[in-house]
Amino acid sequence: MNLASLLSKERINLFLKPGKKNKIIEDLVYSLKKDADAELIVSTLQKREVLGSTGIGKGIAIPHCRSLAVDKLEIAVGRTTKPISFNAIDKKPVSLIFLIIAPPQDPGNQYLLTLGKIVQIAKEITKKKLIQKPQTPEEFITLINQIEKDLRKRK
Amino acid sequence: MSLDKIEMHLKLLFDLDNLLDDLNEPAYKEIGFKIKDAEYRSLTKARSELLMKLPLDIADVYERLKKRYRRAIAPVENDFCFGCFQKLPTQLLTKSKEINTCPNCGRILYWRKK
Repeated sequence: MNLASLLSKERINLFLKPGKKNKIIEDLVYSLKKDADAELIVSTLQKREVLGSTGIGKGIAIPHCRSLAVDKLEIAVGRTTKPISFNAIDKKPVSLIFLIIAPPQDPGNQYLLTLGKIVQIAKEITKKKLIQKPQTPEEFITLINQIEKDLRKRK
Repeated sequence: MSLDKIEMHLKLLFDLDNLLDDLNEPAYKEIGFKIKDAEYRSLTKARSELLMKLPLDIADVYERLKKRYRRAIAPVENDFCFGCFQKLPTQLLTKSKEINTCPNCGRILYWRKK
């Protein structure tokens, strides 16, 4: 499974206007163009955040849920121009957000595999201090591709 | 309760069930997200409340299907029930004015909004 292949440049916003956590999540959900069911997705994501923040630390958050509103795994990426409060586990503000929405029926459990992979890649991004490096969606996808290749080589 | 409201409650209940179910998946636990026990309990309570808001017969069907299949609702894709992957009969191919179930597996059918 290749994460870069699941990303599309139209769904990567590297200059997201900072705002409250819920507003940022809403903005990313609306970028998926699932308008008819966007409220349902937002509601489930908010419930997930209530259980414990998906801010995994060092400036990255990965809000996620399954929803009837999508028929395949959908990912949106946002980087806020200023870090925002996300109640992350390390209490530090967040600027890079990966939003993942998966369909309920999910052959091969791609959702949990992707989630695990994003956590792994996110850790590499923070370790190498690359959050602010990509300046265009294309550069972002290239970066993810490169990290995936490096991770594969290490195995 | 109107059909729209019942459908909305069912969708909320279903997405919440999926959320709670995933937390117990070993693959999810391995990822390492921290879950607050008290909040988990409060969402479980919210789930019960949501279920109680549904008409008794529909809540009963939902719970039976969940017990049997884990996922009680199946989306309709290209005229197929995506729970059992059987083609649906013609009379079920357009969304009707009641809650429909798959004649083959019994799952509650959901037509995704376009």
